[in-house]
Amino acid sequence: MKKIMIDADKCDGCLNCTLACMNAHRADGGDICSLRLTDLQNESRNVIHILPDGSYRPVFCRHCAEPECVNSCMSGALHKNPETGIVEYDEKKCAACYMCVMNCPFGVLKPDDQSRTKVIKCDFCKELGGEPSCVKACPKQAIWVEEVQA
Amino acid sequence: MNNCFSCTTCKSADKPLEGYIAGLSMETSHHRVEGQSVKCGFGLQGVCCRLCSNGPCRITPKAPKGICGATADVIVTRNFLRAVAAGSGCYIHVVENTAKNLKNTARAKGEIKGVNALDHLCELFGIIGGDVHERAEAVAQAVLDDLYRPDDEKMRLLEKLSYAPRFQKWKTLGILPGGAKSEVFAGVVKCSTNLNSDPVDMLMHCLKLGISTGVYGLMLTNLLNDVMLGEPEIMEAPVGLGVIDPDYINIMITGHQHSMFVSLQERLRDEDVQALAKKAGAKGFKLVGCTCVGQDLQLRGVHYADIFSGHAGNNYTSEAVLATGAIDAVLSEFNCTLPGIEPICDELQIKQICLDDVAKKANAELKPFVYEDRENICNEIIEEIVKSYTARRGKVELNLMEEHGNRHTVTGVSEGSLKKFLGGSWKPLIDLIVSGDIKGIAGVVGCSNLTAGGHDVLTVELTKELIAKDILVLSAGCSSGGLENCGLMTPGAAKLAGPKLRAVCEKLGIPPVLNFGPCLAIGRLEMVATELAEAIGVDIPQLPLVLSAAQWLEEQALADGAFGLALGLPLHLGLPPFITGSELVTKVLTEDMKELTGGQVIINSDAKASAGILDGIIEQKRAELKI
Repeated sequence: MKKIMIDADKCDGCLNCTLACMNAHRADGGDICSLRLTDLQNESRNVIHILPDGSYRPVFCRHCAEPECVNSCMSGALHKNPETGIVEYDEKKCAACYMCVMNCPFGVLKPDDQSRTKVIKCDFCKELGGEPSCVKACPKQAIWVEEVQA
Repeated sequence: MNNCFSCTTCKSADKPLEGYIAGLSMETSHHRVEGQSVKCGFGLQGVCCRLCSNGPCRITPKAPKGICGATADVIVTRNFLRAVAAGSGCYIHVVENTAKNLKNTARAKGEIKGVNALDHLCELFGIIGGDVHERAEAVAQAVLDDLYRPDDEKMRLLEKLSYAPRFQKWKTLGILPGGAKSEVFAGVVKCSTNLNSDPVDMLMHCLKLGISTGVYGLMLTNLLNDVMLGEPEIMEAPVGLGVIDPDYINIMITGHQHSMFVSLQERLRDEDVQALAKKAGAKGFKLVGCTCVGQDLQLRGVHYADIFSGHAGNNYTSEAVLATGAIDAVLSEFNCTLPGIEPICDELQIKQICLDDVAKKANAELKPFVYEDRENICNEIIEEIVKSYTARRGKVELNLMEEHGNRHTVTGVSEGSLKKFLGGSWKPLIDLIVSGDIKGIAGVVGCSNLTAGGHDVLTVELTKELIAKDILVLSAGCSSGGLENCGLMTPGAAKLAGPKLRAVCEKLGIPPVLNFGPCLAIGRLEMVATELAEAIGVDIPQLPLVLSAAQWLEEQALADGAFGLALGLPLHLGLPPFITGSELVTKVLTEDMKELTGGQVIINSDAKASAGILDGIIEQKRAELKI
């Protein structure tokens, strides 16, 4: 399975991964220049924390081998695809109980800010094909995709 | 053999050039495009603010304001005004030096090649009496006086140089500029930390800067140069890397200030100087054109046939020109002199000399052009160049591209030479437009960049689409360099035009793309537009005329663009000018401007789609004119 690897030392906190994620998942489509940066509907599936020492901690969904989010999901909205290893999310099945949010060990899952009826979850940009948008947008190669043992 | 560590180069509309650059053993800007392909989304949208130490602040859905409270609209407009002010400053620097050089030439009783051009300006300015030199000095002084006025004192020549309906429009909108230099200053102050936060006021200031840039920086620079250097005449000329003859001592010139080269041009013709070249083993000296000043020499090529070998290429062709190995010195006075030519010059032992410190290159010798000291400066420069030739030739391998470009590019088109070609009246052109044989006119102007599809890619593709729709293209800027090297300015290019335009071109023996030369000649396009509007009896926005700076590159292009908008023209850009982070600014520039000046910005990076939009606008204007 493929995984986004992170070298936090290389991160400059530029948020290009965040914008790329927002753009990849926007409802209206279009290039980065037309992404509405003041629209709260545009949310990122990754987050960059700043630590007390001023360094950055980029956090991306790990698509865990034993995903706590899947284990805690009661409606069957979250599911680990055995072939690709990607933890998939079906919004239609989601009851918005947010047990997944509570259980994510990395704190990367979150309810959406606007409607609070769904979860903002990395889909590895699989519909767009190729590498995830965040990885393509990182100018420092602080994140990359690697094939790992499941 | 390709030893380059990064062997991927960007595309070019000029396929032979693309292959040549890909095969070079040295790094060029074309090699660096891939490494810079990841762009910052905030920067692209213009919503990164570094105006104070609280920043950089960036706009996101959860942080919609900077720490000071500036919204995306304020941040975008401040950044935009800053860019337009810088761009205006560049062109005002050019016209200031040009006027100074004319004044000095007149005082020294130097040669005035364009007496007709002088008469024309004297008539416009109301200067009567005096001999040729006294009148030339008075013209130069009138321009300098206007440039140096404070911002609360309107420039006096503006009304005399503008089309009356436009001048009235600008007056009504309150955008008549004060002294051009002061307006740049005022613009820079407005967009500094915690000053102006009214996006509309700042955008109106951009229009004001557009007017001073266009009428003074562009139009007047051409007219003053015409007085000093001689007026353009239509002729055929060679273009491309093939113009470089290794048997000569070759001097590549870059910049925008042709009047700084006059003394050297003349000196290089002298027998004692030619003898120096022969003594060093060369046939003589040749100036090789590159960037806009090369286009300007080409435009006036009829006056310099013996010393000018031709225009080799535009801004992003300069590295290839040097890579031929046959250039012995680079003489620069302004942009676009890329920083990236420095290591190439070092490697190929090419002497770099700068005539103006605003364009000082790190490893170049600075020889500021001082008119009074011109003879000594020219002699010193010539001595350095001969030294460079003697030291490097034989040691540096030649990598020529003799077949590149073509020998039949039509050049020398100006508002004057075109009218003369038409028999002294605009009527034949107007008749062709009315009959629909020429559907409309598109000015494809500005720079080349490497990101709108690649080097000259969008410019060339868009131009081909436009001429196929029977739209006559006029070009000014590095766009000319790309279009001519790709053969679109040869009479043979008529076959690429639509059936009606093709027939017109073949009948008249002209190409479907007319070469006005450097970006400064955008001012000449304005004069053509004004004269056409005057002849028809309409205002400029009513003409079936559109502009495209498809591959705009720099701040100067944005100041030019502001001029286009002030004229009320539709202005196409291939890439957004870092404004899309503000819905307000985007709306004002792309929609509301139609109500203000008649102009509008169109942003589209696709050649076919862009041509379709511009064609639609031309059709609409034709319908409104009932033709």
